Amino acid sequence: MKTVTNKFSNIFDSIMSGLSKYKEAIVKGDLFVKLSFLWMGAGYFRRKQYIKSLIITLFEIAVLVFTFTFAIQYVPKFGTLGTVKQESVFNPITMQKEFNNYDNSFQILLFSLVSFIVWAIFLVVYIRNIYRQYQLQLDEQNGKAPEKFKDYMNKFLNSKFHITLLALPVLGISLFIIIPLIAMIFVAFTNYDQKHMPPTELFTWVGFNNFVQLFGGGGITSTFGYAFVRVLIWTLVWAVFATFTTYIGGILLASLINNKRVKLKKMWRTLFVITIAVPQFVSLLLVKNFFADGGIVNTICANIGLIDWLRDIGMINTTYIPFLTSPGWAHVMVILINIWVGVPYQMLIATGVLMNLPNDQIESARMDGANSFQIFRHITMPYVLFITGPALVTDFVRNINNFNVIFLLTNNTYTTSNQALANSQAKEIDLLVTWLFTLTRDNYNYKMAAVIGIVVFVISAVCTLVVFKRLTSGDKEGAYR
Amino acid sequence: MNKKRILSVLLCATMATSIFAGCTQKQNQSPNNNGEKPSVNLTMWGQEQDQQMLQGMIDDFEKEYSKYADIKVELGVQSDAKARDRILTDQEAAADVFSFPSDRIQDLASAGALQSIDDMSPVLEQYAGKTVDDVKKANIEGSVEAATYDNTLYAFPMTADNGYFLYYDKNVISEDEVKSWDTLLSAAEKSGKKVGMILASGWYNASFFYSAGFTTSQNKDGTTNIDWNGTADYSGVEVTQSMLKIASNPGFMPIADGDMSNQIASGKLCAAISGTWDANAAQTAFGDGFAATKLPSFKIGDKDVQQKAVVGYKMIGVNAHSKNAGWAALLADFITNEDQQKARFEIRQIGPSNKKVLEDPMISENITASAVVEQSKFGVRQDVGNNFWAPTKTFGEIVAKGQLKADDTAGIQKALDTMVEGVKAPIE
Repeated sequence: MKTVTNKFSNIFDSIMSGLSKYKEAIVKGDLFVKLSFLWMGAGYFRRKQYIKSLIITLFEIAVLVFTFTFAIQYVPKFGTLGTVKQESVFNPITMQKEFNNYDNSFQILLFSLVSFIVWAIFLVVYIRNIYRQYQLQLDEQNGKAPEKFKDYMNKFLNSKFHITLLALPVLGISLFIIIPLIAMIFVAFTNYDQKHMPPTELFTWVGFNNFVQLFGGGGITSTFGYAFVRVLIWTLVWAVFATFTTYIGGILLASLINNKRVKLKKMWRTLFVITIAVPQFVSLLLVKNFFADGGIVNTICANIGLIDWLRDIGMINTTYIPFLTSPGWAHVMVILINIWVGVPYQMLIATGVLMNLPNDQIESARMDGANSFQIFRHITMPYVLFITGPALVTDFVRNINNFNVIFLLTNNTYTTSNQALANSQAKEIDLLVTWLFTLTRDNYNYKMAAVIGIVVFVISAVCTLVVFKRLTSGDKEGAYR
Repeated sequence: MNKKRILSVLLCATMATSIFAGCTQKQNQSPNNNGEKPSVNLTMWGQEQDQQMLQGMIDDFEKEYSKYADIKVELGVQSDAKARDRILTDQEAAADVFSFPSDRIQDLASAGALQSIDDMSPVLEQYAGKTVDDVKKANIEGSVEAATYDNTLYAFPMTADNGYFLYYDKNVISEDEVKSWDTLLSAAEKSGKKVGMILASGWYNASFFYSAGFTTSQNKDGTTNIDWNGTADYSGVEVTQSMLKIASNPGFMPIADGDMSNQIASGKLCAAISGTWDANAAQTAFGDGFAATKLPSFKIGDKDVQQKAVVGYKMIGVNAHSKNAGWAALLADFITNEDQQKARFEIRQIGPSNKKVLEDPMISENITASAVVEQSKFGVRQDVGNNFWAPTKTFGEIVAKGQLKADDTAGIQKALDTMVEGVKAPIE
């Protein structure tokens, strides 16, 4: 807790010192520093750094042009997300349709967001620029020669090379992850759904309504809250089981192959890795067919009399085993199938770790008379757990959002017989993300999907933080160094 | 400090340019008014298996109208089942002309994706020499109703075979035995084979309720009116009891939605309720015994009721956001006119909605096409909103699994009430 407050006060301090520097620049700056409030390149121009002056001026012009030709169309409407509905008339002479100048709520939302980001970046550059001009003025007063542009650019290949490297990834992340993410968060606070679909209809802000609805505030369906809790519980159960079964399975398999008495180690490993090489959806669809109600596994079970036996003891009342079509059976099956799909990955990771297992510890343990299980329990396992702990956390979060396994195995074949769930478009086997998929794909309920998306994000974030904190806390670290 | 500046410059510049790049695409071609032939570019979506046939139709269309305009039609692949999803994702990017099944018309029309065909009357009169009324008269009533929303025609009817009927193996079941569920099921039981039907789908299981006089309809806000927990000609409980009786018969096999083709192919069935899409599978499985007819009658209480079926249609719509909406409407009209519907049947055995084509002897000579025509006398057009599907699917699943007991009227009533509540739920 203390570190957090410290961090905050650090940020606060740096903001304050930045502001005071800024104030100093304003008070003590010369004419050109002050001129750079209007013309960002003024200071550079005065210090004869013409190229920098040109670049920053162009940047300023670009932002101005952006603001007055582009942002101005959208940002003023951001508060209402548009008021003019689409209307059109058909002109039989030109054979064309003529539209009025209508508002598209989603465009307004998205492009306003883009504008805000551009302006935020501009603001940072703008403030830093003024401060920079003042620095140049001080340098000049102290008789320091201004840096040449060529030298400045060279820095990006030497001391500041990381910036050059990171430029593209940062750009990509902002364009493809951050902007869509913020847009999605915005959507959670609107009524964007089937009845409010741009470009024909407008949608608008509704505040926290959607969150209230999700957590039982009435609205959508009377069973939505119930369905949410059911789905959430299964999501967490699934994540825990899916993560730990594959993890432990992978380690056991790796230690088995690593065992001195196992011959043809490389062949075994290759065999398991081949299962990774087959695309997951192919293997999952095959498995789905194997375990279908009329699939090959059911035929085998019927032939050996297993189905009759299960019927006799009352486990099933159908003429087949509903491996993937009834609750309970399906829940167990998806976890088992996930073990089969996921173990090879974990085996690979665990193999790497086991090969680096400190041999001295195991030797000394053996001399002290420990048997192999004790060695595994007290040396191998804690060591592997320590090394792969962070990976375990990512796996857990990945499993919360494990769309592939659940969707490919149960889509179109699993039918719930729980009417309360069905009334909210959910199924017992649904994870939050597959439910979210149904809601958006079949019902265009973008706003609720966004809300669930945020909830999933919060759950994942909290799990990650808590588990990371526990796994990498100080004393444990010391124990295995 | 400079490093961040360059970075941000780069960032902003890219953003700005990409945004401006987007803007340039919006330039409008000004319409050609100086008497020359205008050049028109259109896009059209059709199913993958129809591409070759559609391309032929497009070529004819371009030739037919070449005296008025240089029309270039670009054909894209889009399955009818997913057409709605792709159109509603970005209406302005959707094709000018597309085909879709009748149950999507409300979604598309209420979202404003469909151009009113009534508005296109002057265009049809000027270029195609017919009125919108002629189009309506040329096609069967059900198909025109299905293409109408809010008293406006929103699409050109194209097919009328998107429904289900009974396939059977006449080597196992006689022509008399397929007339009622009782005889059908006992014949199946005797032969050791099964009669397959999908119960876990509101599209199929609604047929029992429609037969008993129940209806569904859709409100403008996308919600569904449904009264299956009440009483029409018979009560909903009685209908459910009849369904349970059929489902629990040893000659019956409930089939999962989407699994019908596999089940027919498996050879376990001697009869199956499905549509034209399974014609090949049924023909292969039943061999020379392949036959098709209308659905059998079933008993509600002790009265025999002919089972109705949901009949669906496919139609061609014009994108409301299409710039060249007039030409697009002409294209849509052209590929759904009498000649082209006939061509559809000849090339791909797609059942027509055009009255004249339906009277053609080639239809009555075709086993599946004649079953479609026979069933269409007992056809119901299903008009429901999105919330209809999940609750009715689950209700069918409960019946299929025998989780309700036929003598437990209170339990059945409760299940019906819950289903109706779910179907009626407001769209939020």
